Parts: sequence; structure tokens; C-alpha cells
Amino acid sequence: MNELWLGLFSGIAFGFVIQRIGATNANKMARAHLMLEPAIPQFMILAVALSALGLFGLQTEGLGRTVILPTSLVATGLAALIFGIGWGLAGYCPGTCWAAAGEGRMDAVFALLGGFAGTAVFAQFHEALIPALYLPTSLGPITLADWLVGGKAVAVWVLAVGLGCCAWGVGKLWTRHEGSL
Amino acid sequence: MKRQPDSDSPYWRWIPAAFALAGIIVFIFATYGPPASSSGFVSTLRGFLEVIAPDYVAGKAHYQMIPGPGSWLMAFVLGMAIGGFIAGRTFEIPVRDVPELWEKRFGPGRFKRYTATFIGGFLILFGSRLAGGCTLGLFISGSTQMAISGLYFGIVIFAAAMVTSRLVYGDPSRGKTHE
Repeated sequence: MNELWLGLFSGIAFGFVIQRIGATNANKMARAHLMLEPAIPQFMILAVALSALGLFGLQTEGLGRTVILPTSLVATGLAALIFGIGWGLAGYCPGTCWAAAGEGRMDAVFALLGGFAGTAVFAQFHEALIPALYLPTSLGPITLADWLVGGKAVAVWVLAVGLGCCAWGVGKLWTRHEGSL
Repeated sequence: MKRQPDSDSPYWRWIPAAFALAGIIVFIFATYGPPASSSGFVSTLRGFLEVIAPDYVAGKAHYQMIPGPGSWLMAFVLGMAIGGFIAGRTFEIPVRDVPELWEKRFGPGRFKRYTATFIGGFLILFGSRLAGGCTLGLFISGSTQMAISGLYFGIVIFAAAMVTSRLVYGDPSRGKTHE
């Protein structure tokens, strides 16, 4: 199978699952951000924990291709802030807006169009922004394994258990607010 | 009134759904590499621009760092739209163009909602391209690989989105935003 078919198949499966958890529904996403419904953040956090264990298993078999993006204190943080404002406002992120547009949500089509505009504007200023914001505070492609004693095997379990606790905590904190409705 | 979120809802429960998504993510790592969505925007846009302004694309670092149309990245985002389409056709709750919470706060006007999602879409992609990835390409992919960048990005996007939604929709405990 070539890359194109693999990408298409993976995208269809991914889009289907995120619709079924409600991540393509901007109303449910807003309720998640307002701490009224814990399911979407719990789903995301647990999926990362399980994927980390799965990827670790792949790597012990010598499989899987990884690309660690550098951590830039300024650029990654500022980018996340801009992203979070857009996510809170629209209720869509770059992946969910494709699936939501496919589902037939017109507001997601506009998020998609806005996304192309944002991409084009960033690409125009890439040469100025990356040296100014990204490179000066870049710590390189660091991982949790670099910070913990015991290497990758310890780090992956610390991460998975830590994220599992986060998912549990989100369930506790978010449902406290359900009674107020 | 205490809701039972899982009882009659057609939405999947979060634990089995997380297992399903993790299975897909691990499959993607095995067959391609770290999954990403925001790069699909670059790949698709590069395809359009190569037709109308090939010299511009050739001279721009951001388009040169991402493969053009025909890439896994572009196939993946198109697949996402198809997956969303199939899931939507086989789901009992009809879609809305203006979400309920938004309508309660700002009225049913489509223009206002579409303007907001256009601006939101602009911001999420601008931010993603600055960071090098989005919810999937940086938070999920990165954290799966234990990258500090992914965990850092994930914490800040959730915090910023939670504050923003509070500013946009108001305090839900005031009773203004019933389901």
C-alpha cells in the first residue's frame, strides 16, 4: 500500500472516532472547556497515555518512525496561547474542523477557510518569525526521558501513569460543575 | 439535576474511544510516523499555490519544508473529512451550523458565528505553524513520544481555551447557558 492510501485510511478512521466522542461538535467542545463535560479531555489524555505505551512497545521491536519537535520556550508557549484563544473561540482545532466540515457543519467550513488564511499568513512571515521567536529560546528536541533517571522505560510509565491521573482528575473536577446546571 | 452522561447518549464512552484512537495512532506511527493535521493545511495550500504562483512557493521556506499534494499529510486531512462524513451520516443527532451554547449567548445569526470560526480557524493555524504542530501534531504526537514540547503545548492550549471560552460564553453557573 502506498503512502496516499495509508494516509486516507488513517484519516477516515481518525475522523470517525473523533466524531463519535463528540470532538467535532463545537458545543460539546465548549462544554469541555467550560468544565461542564469531562469526556473529550479525558479521551484525549488517555489516548496519549495509551499511545505512548503502544509506541514504546513498537520501538522495542525496532518499529515506528519518530520526530521529536524542539521545545522553544517563547515560540511554543506563545503559539499555544494563540492556538488556545482560537480553540476556545471556535471550538475547533486543525484536525476536528476537517472532520466537522465533512460532517456538514457550516461553521467548521469557515474555520477551515480561516485556517488556510492563517497558514498562508504564517508562511509569508516564516523567515522573520522563526529566527525571532523560535530559535533564540529553543531547548532542542528534549523529552521526558532526558529529565528522568532510568531512561525511556521509566519515563514512559511515569508519563502514562501521570496522564492517567490527569484523566481521572479531570473527571473529578469537571463533574463537580454538572450539578450546577 | 445530575445527568448520567453515558446512559442514552449515542456518543461513545471515553475509555473505549481512547483505546480506539490510541490503536489508530500507534498504527500511524508504525506505517508512517507522527500523525499531524495542521501540516495538511500547508500541503494542500502548497498544491493550490504551485498552480497559481510557483515561484512564490519555491522561494518560501514554510512551503518547502512540507511535501506538496499527494503526500500522506494531505491524504490524512481529506480522510478526516470523509471519516467525519461517514460518522455524521450514521449518527442520530443532526448537525447544527450554530452551536446551542453560541446561540444562547449571541443569537442564531450565522454571520456572527461564521466570522468567529473564521477568526478562530486563523488563530489555531497561525499558532500551529509557529509551534510546528497542533492538537494532534504537537500535543498528541509529541506527548506520545514524550516530547516536552508536546506536553508544554498541551497544558497551555487547554488553559488558554478554558479562559477564552469563559470569556466568550460567560459563567455557566449563572444559568445563562443551559444545555
